[in-house]
Amino acid sequence: MSVRVQTLVLLGRDAPLWLAASVLQAALKPAGVAVTAIELPSLLHVSDVYATLPGIEALHTRLRLDEAGLLRATGGAFSLGQNIRDMLGGHGHFLNAYGAYGTPIEGNDFFPYWAKARDLGLDVALEQFSLTAAAARQGRVMIPDEASEAYGRADYGYHLPAIAYAAGLKSVASRIGVAMRTANHIAIERGDDGDIVALVADGERAAGELFVDVTGSDAALIGKTLGIDQQSWRTHFSADRVFAARAQPFAPIPTYAELRAWQPGWAALYPTQAATHVIHAFSSALTEPEDALARLGAAAGLALGDAVLRPSDPGRREQAWAHNCVAIGSAACALDPIHNLDLHAVQLGLITLLTYFPTGQDVAPSRDEYNRLMRSSFERLRDYQAAFYALAPYPGLFWDTGRAAPQPPELAHIVATFRARGEVPPMEDDSIPTDNWRALLIGLGVTPESYPPRIDATSPDTVKAQFRTMLGFVRDAVLRQPTHAQALGTTNG
Amino acid sequence: MTPAPEPEPFKVVIVGGGTAGWMAASALVKLLPAQDYAITLIESDEIGTVGVGEATLPHIKVFNDRLGIDEAQFMRETQAAFKIGIEFVGWDQPGERYVHPFGTFGEPWAGVDFQHHWARARAAGRASELHDYSFAIAACRNNAFEFPNEDPKSIRATFAYAYHFDAALYAQFLRRWAMPLGVTRIEGKVVDVRRDDGTGHVASLMLASGAEIAGDLFVDCSGFRSLLVGGTMEVDWQDWSHWLPCDRALAVPNMRVEPLLPFTRLTAQEAGWTWRIGLQHRTGNGYVFSSRFTDEERARDVLLAALDAPPLGEPRLLRFQAGRRAAAWAGNCVAVGLASGFLEPLESTSIFLIQAAVMDLIGLMPTRRSGIDPRLAAEYNRLFEVHYDRTRDFLVLHYTANRRHGQPLWDHVRNMQLPESLAHKIALFRASAAAPDYRYGLFSRDSWLSVLVGQGVLPAAWNPLAEAIPLDDLAARLADLKYRIEVNAADMTGHGDFIRSYCPAPALEPAA
Repeated sequence: MSVRVQTLVLLGRDAPLWLAASVLQAALKPAGVAVTAIELPSLLHVSDVYATLPGIEALHTRLRLDEAGLLRATGGAFSLGQNIRDMLGGHGHFLNAYGAYGTPIEGNDFFPYWAKARDLGLDVALEQFSLTAAAARQGRVMIPDEASEAYGRADYGYHLPAIAYAAGLKSVASRIGVAMRTANHIAIERGDDGDIVALVADGERAAGELFVDVTGSDAALIGKTLGIDQQSWRTHFSADRVFAARAQPFAPIPTYAELRAWQPGWAALYPTQAATHVIHAFSSALTEPEDALARLGAAAGLALGDAVLRPSDPGRREQAWAHNCVAIGSAACALDPIHNLDLHAVQLGLITLLTYFPTGQDVAPSRDEYNRLMRSSFERLRDYQAAFYALAPYPGLFWDTGRAAPQPPELAHIVATFRARGEVPPMEDDSIPTDNWRALLIGLGVTPESYPPRIDATSPDTVKAQFRTMLGFVRDAVLRQPTHAQALGTTNG
Repeated sequence: MTPAPEPEPFKVVIVGGGTAGWMAASALVKLLPAQDYAITLIESDEIGTVGVGEATLPHIKVFNDRLGIDEAQFMRETQAAFKIGIEFVGWDQPGERYVHPFGTFGEPWAGVDFQHHWARARAAGRASELHDYSFAIAACRNNAFEFPNEDPKSIRATFAYAYHFDAALYAQFLRRWAMPLGVTRIEGKVVDVRRDDGTGHVASLMLASGAEIAGDLFVDCSGFRSLLVGGTMEVDWQDWSHWLPCDRALAVPNMRVEPLLPFTRLTAQEAGWTWRIGLQHRTGNGYVFSSRFTDEERARDVLLAALDAPPLGEPRLLRFQAGRRAAAWAGNCVAVGLASGFLEPLESTSIFLIQAAVMDLIGLMPTRRSGIDPRLAAEYNRLFEVHYDRTRDFLVLHYTANRRHGQPLWDHVRNMQLPESLAHKIALFRASAAAPDYRYGLFSRDSWLSVLVGQGVLPAAWNPLAEAIPLDDLAARLADLKYRIEVNAADMTGHGDFIRSYCPAPALEPAA
């Protein structure tokens, strides 16, 4: 391809389609590029839910999507992180929060001080030093101010019922001028060079120079049309079936998700205003689906309904961009459901596409760069997800299988370095904050065997005093925060 | 509870007392807890230091600040001057020149990096040279210097600075600074290395005096010799001379001439390039050349002809080969500086690579409890590779992007097979104006941009998102930017005056 992109055609469905179409339209319309979105029938189910990472705010801002309006319209909720809880006893729980843990001491990271103190017998969990985690524990949100910024990052994401969120994004797309069509049947016209020339949607032709595949794991263009294979990550992920279901909302609504580990696998509870959405991942080799759902409801004490079962087959397309087609989201990389990172992957793809948008006569270098970056970004997400299965300490066959699976070499290096020194190796294109890596690895029971010795230059009295100050600051700051209901505007005062 | 007996301090033995040795000793003694580490440095007056790294990158200020070194004092005692860029003369082709600034080009507009806007305006005939949009370059052109403004929004805050200093004086300065903090200095020459039979680790070093120096970790700062890592541990050398064919340097100082330039000047020559580094007391000069393309006699003539004042003594010859060890940390030996690899001082990376190695080592330093842990070494070596490989690509760019047709060295490097990672970066910029951008390791996007454009690699297209700004608005923004740069740079203090009031160095007898 070497033609200037005048028309960009997206094919897909649901929130990834409308997020992609809106973001591309907002960025490219001023540059004179027309965006057409062809919508395939939805595959969403009433139980589906997106958990977004804090970074989604950057896209919402581009779309002038107001937070209060979004949460009201979708019945969504704030999320300050994920509580990971062992339902089988023995391993307790920990909060992997969207914020910093502790504040630096004498110019050094907080974390090694904590690791050292714990080794010496300190019995205060890492999460107690996190504003975000502490607020979540108290059912509050955490609105950053100057003092909290000085202490450390405090962020939040959302839980968004998927159908309502997709509808909201679709109305944004419509408002900002995306040309929209729906189709049940798609025919694809290709040129002699193999490039896509046009999509024929229910008989109506949409020609363009660049095509974006947002069809999810269908991969209708990148996979089925262009024949780009998916490299399987099966070996790292023992869950191959996922239930989505929902139950009554909690009252009050927690400001965090909860991931519960139990015999057949894990279940994640995503509270929203409308319902408690539940995702349950397990292995079909070990558990019968009907059995899984019934047992989950009983174990969680929730009246689960509206269940839908889907397969999960994690893997990455060999190329996310081939010919004149860029795959975004699950079409480019099917992630494991753990930590609900699908929308984050969509965002990474969109931002990278805008940075390396095809231009000029020779597009191959931009395509190569896009593929290189997306491969590396996806593999780091894979590592973060695979870490959970590789390290989870829970008993039972499902968890045994995960621990026995081979680790991706980069993950093995990350874990080895963390175990040896308590440091997370800085990896290019890793979009997961170091604080989250640490919280996860510590929470799963990886104990650093040493820490950077420079922190021993700080006197124990200074460290103790700083710890006390931090805990006091966190306690006071959290008490000033609004409750979830106040933040959502669902309470009077 | 009875306190456990204090364990023996962990013994770190540094072999070699040049820039690398004393930077390592200073940082280790300052940043590691004194009760847990015993730092010993062995150096020999019989063994000379190379000391070619007289020009630095802005990172050195972070290093000095972290150690708590007083800047003005350090500058006085090392005859230092400020440096805000490198001027490359004749690299693209004879007569052309450009500056690689320690600063940014323009600012991102509409969420799109500056060079896309510039490329678009240039194609429309509405922009001047890229280098007109850098404040640091304007300051270089005026021979001016001031500290970056504290208001981050000011155009006068868009740069960082480094130093030119006498590397031998810097090593001496650090020695004076570090020894009172507890570094044990041993004068002596290593004649034998004793190893542990079981682990193969180095157990002790035998000195010519007959003394035996035992250690837990050995930091090999022995220079090109690479006594422990290359020698004892037999770590392979990866030869990069097919990409960087220069293998000799002739160095000679001369008398300082006015004005005192706040930048390094590097001039392409028939078989390599000459450097000019202005210090307070003298000017450092040298010619880095390839023995495949010239001989020493001819090289000496080229160097002397390039001088702007009479030489102080005879040019001194250095021999080297570009490349690095396959690993810098092997067993209980860690190579720092020339013992770990060599990249010609084309972008002043020698001291940066030492600094990065030392700071990485402090983070991953074994403890009495951890002992020598191969997992720490694995991460250290990963970081070492990132630093060297990324720097290499940037250096190779300076050679390969040239139009010095008919000069055998330059014809060779223009046509050689490039590292795949570099070929991709060049192709990407040429096609789309997207400049290399990564989080770890040298160099920044602005640095890449300056050299790419400076050496005639021009973008054929740009990110269409840039077109969100109407062309007339863009031209107005560019004109305003250029105006702000010119007005502010014109208002700066001269570099020589700044030095005279901030950190005047005592007059020294010029070394013969």
